[in-house]
Amino acid sequence: MWSRRAFLKAGAVGMFSLTLGGTPLFLCRAANAATTRKPQTLVCIFQRGAMDGLMAVTPFSDPNLKTLRPRIAMSATDVIDLDGHFGLHPGFRNLAPLFKSHQLAIVHGMGSPDTTRSHFDAQDYMETGTPGRKGTRSGWLNRAAGLMGHDHTPFSAVALTSAMPRSLYGDFPALAVSDLASFGVQEMPAGGSGSVSAGQSLEALYNNTTQDLLKGTGKESFTAVKQLSKEAVRSYRPANGAVYPAGQLGQSLKQIAYLIKSGLGIEVAFTESAGWDTHVNQGTGQGTFFQRAQELGNSIAAFWTDLGSYQDHVALMTMTEFGRTCGENGSGGTDHGRGSCCFILGTTVKGGQVYGQVPTLARENLEDQRDLPVTTDFRAVFSEVASKHLKVPAGEQLFPGYNGSRLTLMT
Amino acid sequence: MVWAFMLGLMLSAASVAQKPKLPYQQAGLTERQAAAYLLDRLAYGPRPGEIDRVVKMGLENWVEQQLQGAQPESPELTARLQKMPALALTPAELTQKYPPAPRVRNEAIQAGVISKEDKGDTDKKAYRQKIIQFGMSKGYRPGRELVNQLVGQKILRAVYGNNQLSEVMTDFWFNHFNVSLTDNQCRLQILSYERDAIRPNVLGTFRGLLGATAKHPAMLLYLDNAQSTAAMDARTSLDDKMDGLPPKAQAQAKQRAEQFKKRQKQRGVNENYARELMELHTLGVDGGYTQKDVQEVARVLTGWTVNPEVVGRKLPQLERAKKVGAVIDGGFLFRPDAHDSAAKVVLGRTFPAGGGLQEGEQVLDMLASHPSTAKFVTHKLACWFVQDTPPPALEKRLASTFQATRGDIKAVMRQLVYSPEFWSAEARRGKIKSPFELAVSSLRALDADVSPTRDLYDWITDMGEPLYSYQAPTGFPDGSSSWVNTGLLLTRMNFGLSLASKQVNGVKFDLARLNGGKEPADVNQALEVYSRLLLPERDTKSVVKLLAPKVNDPAFAQKIAEADNAKPQEPTMTDDEEGPRQRPKRKLGPVEPVAQVVGIILGSPEFQRQ
Repeated sequence: MWSRRAFLKAGAVGMFSLTLGGTPLFLCRAANAATTRKPQTLVCIFQRGAMDGLMAVTPFSDPNLKTLRPRIAMSATDVIDLDGHFGLHPGFRNLAPLFKSHQLAIVHGMGSPDTTRSHFDAQDYMETGTPGRKGTRSGWLNRAAGLMGHDHTPFSAVALTSAMPRSLYGDFPALAVSDLASFGVQEMPAGGSGSVSAGQSLEALYNNTTQDLLKGTGKESFTAVKQLSKEAVRSYRPANGAVYPAGQLGQSLKQIAYLIKSGLGIEVAFTESAGWDTHVNQGTGQGTFFQRAQELGNSIAAFWTDLGSYQDHVALMTMTEFGRTCGENGSGGTDHGRGSCCFILGTTVKGGQVYGQVPTLARENLEDQRDLPVTTDFRAVFSEVASKHLKVPAGEQLFPGYNGSRLTLMT
Repeated sequence: MVWAFMLGLMLSAASVAQKPKLPYQQAGLTERQAAAYLLDRLAYGPRPGEIDRVVKMGLENWVEQQLQGAQPESPELTARLQKMPALALTPAELTQKYPPAPRVRNEAIQAGVISKEDKGDTDKKAYRQKIIQFGMSKGYRPGRELVNQLVGQKILRAVYGNNQLSEVMTDFWFNHFNVSLTDNQCRLQILSYERDAIRPNVLGTFRGLLGATAKHPAMLLYLDNAQSTAAMDARTSLDDKMDGLPPKAQAQAKQRAEQFKKRQKQRGVNENYARELMELHTLGVDGGYTQKDVQEVARVLTGWTVNPEVVGRKLPQLERAKKVGAVIDGGFLFRPDAHDSAAKVVLGRTFPAGGGLQEGEQVLDMLASHPSTAKFVTHKLACWFVQDTPPPALEKRLASTFQATRGDIKAVMRQLVYSPEFWSAEARRGKIKSPFELAVSSLRALDADVSPTRDLYDWITDMGEPLYSYQAPTGFPDGSSSWVNTGLLLTRMNFGLSLASKQVNGVKFDLARLNGGKEPADVNQALEVYSRLLLPERDTKSVVKLLAPKVNDPAFAQKIAEADNAKPQEPTMTDDEEGPRQRPKRKLGPVEPVAQVVGIILGSPEFQRQ
């Protein structure tokens, strides 16, 4: 791996020889910034489908659990004991050491003040950061990236998804790319030396257009392509013996790690994990939930190992649109509920703790007598992480209409 | 205002009195340049020979013909649309034919085809096959087919349609009143939404559009008005009605109503539609309404919901419901038992108690004719058709015309096209094509034979415009900067290169035929000929000058001579109907040098501009 400085220097030299104009502004600024600090990066993983928080982090000492979930309750022996009351699902086994080393915190009973049980609406509200309001133009992560106030690089805000997620809708230029190796201009082989380089031809055209936006963006694009060498992406080997799971999530996190280490200025990264809508046969120590948990847990753990010394500059947070019913349904699964839990990982996280309130699961303590009540507004957590890690103001600009408190969980 | 009204009258009476001229000469354009510009802005770009046709019929006549939007469709379009049976289905038929997967699964369980506990954990393939077989036996079709036909018709109409301005306006108004395929609740209704609510009104009146969208199931579901009811303790239109009954009947009716109310899971006002109605559809965010107005409009619209028959449910006791004030209008249902019947105050105007359904219509009237709406809507039109930041003088005139003509869209558009600002140097070529516009204008420029495929749809998605799938009610942001960023710009270039190398599935074209069957003599000629053909009436000198040294490589010239031997690669992707789609790896095979030149022109900055 290159050091960030060396890389930028090499990139800048390459630029001079290849373009007619000067070095793009962002590159100069980034090069200057590189001498002082590595950027802070926030990585968010959206768990689509609504994770069963009670299964992920089970209050195993609560006797109500077995009554509510005769077939799928996790007992003390099934889980990894975190604090004598809560236990981590065995699928998340690889996250347990991070909890023990106080880098991983859990917030339980987190959710939205809006009571919708629609995936679509609840995801929308969580991603815009404005529960109950659908018309919000931007996503909260886009606002967070914008509030950092840095000149953007092409990789400042990246979603490793095929379409732009709602979280990154907005004015700040964000990039959605499902595979970094496909980033670039295709060449049109006409058979050997005879071919025109489409990339070079187009670069010349964009350099000379009279339309400023096309000219500027064109320049940035061709620079980005040079920075992000396909060969390097393909041949990237994770450090410290990290092994990423083969699925989409693992590969996305691996590419995010690559972007972080390449010094391309990534500040906000987004990816997602699918399949949490466990209405049927969700299983216990094995089965559907276990498989999802294992992929998520192992991907995060591999990512963290891979980062090594970069850990100090990265925070990772999971989120899911709502939780699931406290009681199991007739199909051995759970239905749409309210509160769930999330993981926050980072060296400045005050980890090793389960934050938030989970009441004893007696029916009268449940929301609508069936769901885990939302005791922590998700914005209390998101704004804490954004303000402490990305150093952005956590006020109304980040979460319009929110004036609630922040949950202190980072130094 | 009076002045603008007079102008509007003058323009509409134009055919009687002296014909006004489009002010392109004042802007220094030739007639042919003006025709090319009109085709870029009011249509999806020129097809070969189209500039000649427009010039021949007269530019003003062409504009008027497009404003009327009543040209018979071409056989090449109708033949293609006929292959898409979903386009003719009613909303209820669509729901019936394209049931969501969980419903098919449930029905399969009820029919005993699979057991309730089985989730296909042991043999996923066999399990799925069982459900698919069951679905086919019931005449169901996969939802993907519906989406393909929905997207397909949009592409085909834009490529081949004779009423081009109507197509552009359909794109504009759908986006203005956006609903999204990402919302499972409304996705089956979107085809009908565009066909029945948007399309018939695109060049009609704004109020017509507003009413049609407000009452369409897609919008009612997407912005939750379908589930918005009077609060539990609020007095409803049904209560009003029951008070007029004789005592005995009254007691019975009240008992029934009370029981029904208890059975309902949730009752309460949902403000989502009311808010977006004012913020996004009419007044605009600074249009002068308050949160209190949002709450009041939401109460006005309680009981505006979806006719259950459209979403595949039976409507119990319809006749009895009609007697107590229920109203059915296609997919729309007004429920008196859910409508808050107390008095409301909206934007300072009092609506007395008991207004019922009419009260909602009056609020729509009021919003449609509000000066803020005129301003907000014409601003969006000017951004779309003229430039990203339109001149204030133009906006003012358009807003006045909107007001004076009570939202006559034709009148506003006519004035827009006849305005000098539309023809100004700043406006021309200032806008960047949306990904959809880019794709369609490329296909038109190449005179391509298009059968819409998933591949074309995926390209447009990858360039940043997933059709019918913008999740937020705002619609896609309009403005060049939202279409052009680092990743998206590269994808645009790659689209041009892939298209020219015949790597976009379902698209066929003949580059030699485009040039009257003539092979260019050398590479310089190829460059000149195809920049002229693909960028007609534009200044292509700089493109040619920049590219000439690159294509003038002797080895490249040699390739031109060998072009006959080069065979374009056959597309290999199959359009899978089930399961998550594996996108084909996009790698270009060997292509003719002329195709290379064409690919670079399509990817060039000049071709991105409108």
